[in-house]
Amino acid sequence: MTYEIRVSRTEGTRSYQVELGNRMTVLDALFRIQSHLDSTLEFRCACRVGMCGTCAINVNRFPRLACRTRVSSLDSQVISLGPLPHLPVIRDLVVSLAPFFDQWKRVRPALRGTASSELAIIPPNPETSRKRDCITCGICFAACGIKATHADYLGPAAINRAFLRLKDPRDTAGMARLKVLNDEWSGVWRCHTQFNCTAACPKKINLTDTIVRLKRAMLRS
Amino acid sequence: MRGLIVKYGGPFSGMVAHVIQRVTGLLLLVYLFLHVRTIYALSQGPEAFDRAVGAFHNFFFKLLEIALLGAVILHALNGVRITLIDLGVGHERQRQLFWVWSIGLGGLIFLAGAIPLFISSILRH
Repeated sequence: MTYEIRVSRTEGTRSYQVELGNRMTVLDALFRIQSHLDSTLEFRCACRVGMCGTCAINVNRFPRLACRTRVSSLDSQVISLGPLPHLPVIRDLVVSLAPFFDQWKRVRPALRGTASSELAIIPPNPETSRKRDCITCGICFAACGIKATHADYLGPAAINRAFLRLKDPRDTAGMARLKVLNDEWSGVWRCHTQFNCTAACPKKINLTDTIVRLKRAMLRS
Repeated sequence: MRGLIVKYGGPFSGMVAHVIQRVTGLLLLVYLFLHVRTIYALSQGPEAFDRAVGAFHNFFFKLLEIALLGAVILHALNGVRITLIDLGVGHERQRQLFWVWSIGLGGLIFLAGAIPLFISSILRH
């Protein structure tokens, strides 16, 4: 089937007519354009199996992983592609994840333990097991409506990371993280429970649930 | 257009609920000011109050009264939905909670109130 792929590029929108099979993905379409139609098109990818999160782009105004989105699932022969919103565009579909990781760093993402012999063991916790699947693709960050108006907001992924660390009994930096999470302007209180992050997350992590749990825990303490 | 309906009717319906809550909240704020202004006329005597209330006795304000009912119901039910979510209830079913509770039940309550209101205040005048 022939699809019209409209790519929002640095110099403006360009359309390409691309022949694609039903099982092919948006990433396949981008490769086909780059190989046969326009070698100047720039996009990012690495694993091609939805594990690295590198190929996150806007597909029909919906942030998704290009490698996990089959063209047939979009129910349209016209597919619009663009860079992730709320992030600076480097070129074409390539964005800088620097603002995402700046917020990520603020919550002290690394484990701050005491005894090194304990570090290899992740204590089982049904409350956090599904939330460990984050691949830091930045899709939740791009989908978040609050992020659009509050650049300082931590964003769902960083909050989820902080939640995992707070729930880890080995971690010793809980108070420092809580201080960041409790910030009136950039912490969890900015979240307006729009569920956009949860809806967009390619790993199906209920990020809104994480944020609401943290809000309740903070009120209790 | 179809893409937008699929997006905001489906997984992103929480965004629709968010926008509805803000818009109805602002409309109710405007109503509140209007209400306080009208009640204030009581302090200036019965004639002043009658004049203030008399300004609303027209077709346009009767329709706005019905719209006010809709705004109150949507805002209240959506507020209950947000409270439930903040309490940790219905996270996995937030989309259904919005469409069934806020829009479905809200629509029924609105019709139950709006139809008699329309008949009594618009059709009979």
